[in-house]
Amino acid sequence: MSLGPYLLRRFGGLLLVLLVTSFLVFGLLYLAPGSPLAFILGPRGGTPEQIAAVTEQYHLNDPFFVRYAAWLGDILRGDLGYSIVYRQDVSALISSRVGTTLALVSLAAIIISVVGIAVGTFAALRGGWSDQLTSTLAAIGLSTPSFVIGVALISVFAVGLGWFPTFGSGTGGVDTLWHLTLPALALSVASAAYLARITRAAVLEESGREHVQTATVRGLATGHIVRHHVLRNSLIPIVTVLGLTIATLIAGAVVVENVFALDGLGSLLVRAILQRDFAVVQAVILVLVVAFVVVNAIVDFLYTFIDPRIALGSRQ
Amino acid sequence: MFTPKPVFAAASLAAAALLLTACTATSTTDEEPGLSLDLDNLATTTTPGTEPVDEVKWNLPYEPMSLDPIYGFNYAENTVTANLCESLLRLTPDLKTEPGLATSVSQPDDTTIVYTIREGVTFWNGNPLTAEDVAYSLGRQTGPDTTTYWSDYFLNVDSVTATGPYEVTVKMKQPDVLFTQAMGSAAGAIVEKAAAEADGEQFGTPNGNLQCTGPFSLTKWNSGKSIELAKNPSYWDSALMPKVEKLSFSFIADESTAVNALRTGDIDGQYFYLPPAGLSQLQNSDTVATAYGKSFVFWTLAPINAEGPLGDQKIREALSLAVDRTAIAKVVFQGVAIPAPTLVGPDAWGYGEDTFAKAYAKFGVEPDIEEAKQLVADAGSPKEPIVLAVQGSSAVHEQTANLIQAAGQAIGLDVQTKVIPVEQFGNLYFDPKAREGLDGFFTTNYADFADPLGVYSFFHTSNSHDYIGWDGADAEIEEALATLDESKRAELVATIQDKVTEGLPWIPLEYEPVTLVQNKRISSATASFAYLYAPWAATIGGVK
Repeated sequence: MSLGPYLLRRFGGLLLVLLVTSFLVFGLLYLAPGSPLAFILGPRGGTPEQIAAVTEQYHLNDPFFVRYAAWLGDILRGDLGYSIVYRQDVSALISSRVGTTLALVSLAAIIISVVGIAVGTFAALRGGWSDQLTSTLAAIGLSTPSFVIGVALISVFAVGLGWFPTFGSGTGGVDTLWHLTLPALALSVASAAYLARITRAAVLEESGREHVQTATVRGLATGHIVRHHVLRNSLIPIVTVLGLTIATLIAGAVVVENVFALDGLGSLLVRAILQRDFAVVQAVILVLVVAFVVVNAIVDFLYTFIDPRIALGSRQ
Repeated sequence: MFTPKPVFAAASLAAAALLLTACTATSTTDEEPGLSLDLDNLATTTTPGTEPVDEVKWNLPYEPMSLDPIYGFNYAENTVTANLCESLLRLTPDLKTEPGLATSVSQPDDTTIVYTIREGVTFWNGNPLTAEDVAYSLGRQTGPDTTTYWSDYFLNVDSVTATGPYEVTVKMKQPDVLFTQAMGSAAGAIVEKAAAEADGEQFGTPNGNLQCTGPFSLTKWNSGKSIELAKNPSYWDSALMPKVEKLSFSFIADESTAVNALRTGDIDGQYFYLPPAGLSQLQNSDTVATAYGKSFVFWTLAPINAEGPLGDQKIREALSLAVDRTAIAKVVFQGVAIPAPTLVGPDAWGYGEDTFAKAYAKFGVEPDIEEAKQLVADAGSPKEPIVLAVQGSSAVHEQTANLIQAAGQAIGLDVQTKVIPVEQFGNLYFDPKAREGLDGFFTTNYADFADPLGVYSFFHTSNSHDYIGWDGADAEIEEALATLDESKRAELVATIQDKVTEGLPWIPLEYEPVTLVQNKRISSATASFAYLYAPWAATIGGVK
């Protein structure tokens, strides 16, 4: 399939996914008990008249389909809606946070791919003692919750050694990079460990294949064999896992965002869900779905580079 | 005055991290003499800081929802607005009041209050403060359509009029001693009429243009990230001219991160309304100084189900008698709490001190298990469980609930707990639907000024805080609210306190001092509860 129709098909799929997810999320939120009233009326609550007025103003008691249709109509006009909890436009809330999340996830993605692939390859090729050690480390990394790692990193590198700041996302540029190093590390440990195991398995499998044995028998340099015959062929499972991991990092960053007091989309989403702030939840979910689809499209593209036999959008 | 303390951003997993830190913290304190606070020596101010400072970085436990004073009724919001928007009266560090934007107040009769507005005060944009701004700021909180969080105080206000260029007259429908005192809280904060009208709903949000008269002005609110304040060089009160050029606020919700940021100096200070889990780390740190200040805040168990076991006064009495308040202060609050025999503590006796002292001495905090058992038996030993709502991700809630559970067990009551997420906890205060299946919840609460009636007026049947419809002091409360004479009012309020403490519409547990942590390079922030309503950062200065 050539690029044009492929993009068109992807875009159509994206719209469908967006519609279905938004409907599901809206429905689930609607069914869940609780309301945003406390955040509109304030801690003292209000008189029954005030409660009725607010409920009316924000259509809190309207039937499900009426509310969903109203939200959908706004979206089609390019209006992400208004957060009744923050008294702000949702687009403003999101745009001020999307940068932090993007930087954090990109940094984590780099760490995950570099560390994961390097460690996995190393373990598979060296075997024996090194393999045991890295496998054990990977198991520990996989089973340690990210907030524990976050707290430990802060204690050692921020409080103990004073190399990094304890919290926040910095003021941009290098400062942001400096601020986000510890959070990105905390965020990537589990995923890097997972990727290392996948890489190790894929490399081991490829190393035993006939073309690699042939190359070895022909006396080609080990480095050449690893780069061109082993790694190249292991890349399909690696890239697949990497793509899925990165897409889930965006929402999964919430715990790390909390520990490091970062202004990201993850914590905005979780808070909005608990506050029943429908417009914000919906908008963040849309961003997540778009990110997920985009990352997967990129992975699809990469497939065609890694293995030219795979056609864009094919089911192979 | 209720304060559900929505510490919104704490996620439950992060809270688990807190618990981990809590374990370590407890093991260290075991070796040290336990912190024991004396009501008589709580701080009001801290050692003077005299040097100019470029920037002070302060932390808030969560991001404010709004900086408009009419929506400022919670810890983080008030911590910021106290430096921005001034009230007609000013709460002093020793919790008394002095003239603020009103130079004098007169009451020609019981239902008329005349405020003389201070001349020569300007808003940050240079416009002069006029009676129109004052009338607008109070007027917008009056009437059935107002959305102010302070509506309780404005219930009896009939009209607010500018009766001169510097004179505002408030007409009351009936005398109300709470309204006049509330003008020292954020309820009496003055904003510029023109700015508020121009902004509409955006006023006080990150996109709005807040306009007030305080010693600091709002520079920028980066949604989700920080709030930045700058010194107001044309501030009218030279005694409170800031020594700090820039005051910025971060929003670290995770307590262990906040404690770490304080220890490293990444932030310069924070007020804690409940002692943080890592308190001992702060006390042992060379970087920061910790002070405990006078406060109106108390910790209580509010029964909410009149049909359940706690609807029975005997069961409430029994539970109250069985609770070991000294143990709660030590175990749950790491010593930073004072066992409370009555709901309102001595710091809130703004008048009639002798009367209140005598009334206070009638009650004690010693548990009496035998008598409690007898009361349970008298009440027919109910077998239904008592379900207490516990705020998610709060160690203080959970640990208090555990101790109360144990106390219940000792006298044959089946106490259970149910976790409610912090974001939904606020609904318990006024939404009967949210309270279904629950018998009680824990909360901090406070009077906004030094009058115990500010709290005891909750227990009039018409008040939204009287969850179980307790009506044991309705007549006295009505009379006290209309009694302007302070010595007479003290007698009435003391009687109300007797009845409330016996009837237990809420069960008193602890008094909570303010915990103030400051980096040692600065000093002089207000240490008392006044930080919520008066410019606490104006006195901060550098230490040589």
